[in-house]
Amino acid sequence: MKEKTKRTIAFYSMISPWFVVFILFGLFPMLYGLYLSFTNYYGFNIKHLKWTGFHNYHKVFTDSDAMYSLGRTLYVTAINVPLSVLIGLGLAMLLNKQVKGVGVYRTLFYLPSIVPPLASVIMWKFIFSSNNGIFNGILDRLGLPTVNWLGYDYATPSLLIMLLWGAGGGIIINLAGLKGIPRDLYEAASIDGATPFKRTIYLTMPLMTPVIFFNVINGIIGSLQILMQPILLNGTELLSRPIQPNYLYAVHAFQQVFAFQRFAYGMALLWILFLAILILSIIVFTTSKYWVHYETDQE
Amino acid sequence: MNTSNPTQKGSFPLYAALILFSIVFMFPLYLALANAFSNWNTSPGLVPSGFKPENFKYATTMIDFWHFGKNTVILCLIPLCTSTLTSGLVGYAFARISVPGRNVLFMIVLSTMMLPGMVTQIPQYILFHKYGLLDTFWPWVFWGIGGNAFFIFLYRQFFAGIPKELEDAAKIDGCSIFRTYWNIFLPMSAPVIATVSIMTFTGAWNDFMGPFMFLKQDHYPLATALSTISYTAEGTKLIIQPVATAAAILLMIPVLLTFFFGQRYIVEGIVTTGVKG
Repeated sequence: MKEKTKRTIAFYSMISPWFVVFILFGLFPMLYGLYLSFTNYYGFNIKHLKWTGFHNYHKVFTDSDAMYSLGRTLYVTAINVPLSVLIGLGLAMLLNKQVKGVGVYRTLFYLPSIVPPLASVIMWKFIFSSNNGIFNGILDRLGLPTVNWLGYDYATPSLLIMLLWGAGGGIIINLAGLKGIPRDLYEAASIDGATPFKRTIYLTMPLMTPVIFFNVINGIIGSLQILMQPILLNGTELLSRPIQPNYLYAVHAFQQVFAFQRFAYGMALLWILFLAILILSIIVFTTSKYWVHYETDQE
Repeated sequence: MNTSNPTQKGSFPLYAALILFSIVFMFPLYLALANAFSNWNTSPGLVPSGFKPENFKYATTMIDFWHFGKNTVILCLIPLCTSTLTSGLVGYAFARISVPGRNVLFMIVLSTMMLPGMVTQIPQYILFHKYGLLDTFWPWVFWGIGGNAFFIFLYRQFFAGIPKELEDAAKIDGCSIFRTYWNIFLPMSAPVIATVSIMTFTGAWNDFMGPFMFLKQDHYPLATALSTISYTAEGTKLIIQPVATAAAILLMIPVLLTFFFGQRYIVEGIVTTGVKG
């Protein structure tokens, strides 16, 4: 057998587990879902589906709940992504210094992002609770008026605080980027008289932009899909409806499917979410040539 | 690769910042602990009201805790035995075997990371329902065999960084491509295997939406059970918060221990693989 044929056979047999599962459990369901979004499927009529064209998609844009939740989701994303990217980077820069017991701090900072979401919601409820919650206790002691953290006015800031508490999840990827910056660059900059502050702004930041870019894209993808935190923060069951300001887009889609069996409509909602993710990612990609620094000697 | 940054001795403000952030990140965990030991019918406070370690015992007896725990273990073992291995195989092929079409296929792998999970999960739910696979563990087996896009990416980055001479030496010795992977590359990849295993375990242990969608209560893992079944006082709908918190802490412990002992490997694994293309 020729070397090239051998390689081809080896390659395709090695990727076959992923490829077969991708076709059967990824691509096929995806297209099936796309098809269903053009029908009137509501859970019992799978044998008598009717093609309804763009009806469901039209409905998404006239459904005030969907549009409201989309707005709230974009709002949460617009605050959550920049802040969590900055916090992740800032914490990683702290941990990149030579300090004693850095492993301990690394563990402590990273822990919140691996705590089961269910457990972290339970903990934050203690803090936000309006009667005898910790935040209100502190406000009270300072002589300030207490607020209803999980009520209409503060529910979204509370959700954001809870989400940002887990922002340490970005530490590892940032640390990997920081450790990849060659040390001699810093030494050269020091010899040229650059202060630590200048080194951070003119050296670390530009060299970290590929990692920041990666985190921004990932953050957008994740933030637009936030689902369980708003549900559990106010409700006690997975099918309960979050308080209005935290009624996010993925929650709306989840409710349509699992609480009301509106499968076809739910799929239309999710395909629009997918398009929103794509569009936002493309926007970030096109801006990247203005701010993401790529090494010139790329392979 | 192993360059460390400018040597700066830890200064006072640096330690103050580190300690301050540690307090911020640990505070909710401390509160949970304080509440888990508290007496029933007291509101959560900064110090536990009383000392009631029995709450942890009640957490495991008031609901079918160990039964759900067994389901959790099964749902963790399935991807650990499948996804960890197949992701490595696929990542290796993408890193070391150059054939036409490879880059397009790799772009497809990466683009699946952008897809909202529910876009495939809900049609899958309908299809699994049709073929009688709902409320079984089979979907987890299939997903596991298919690997995970992010892990494929990590393995690929790792394998791509290994010098070509090793491969050439193996070829001269007459090793097949698969043997080269198995005997030479795989034994070298302990850090990335550890990283992927820890992340697989944590993800599977914490996932409660997937099982909620595809399983019924009897097959729920702990994470799903705790978010759907309440610890209520007999005959009432009143939730006994300290017991529920104790259960949440029990749920956390295996993940925290795994991370504590494994974090060295994760950092090493990701730092040495590198995240840049």
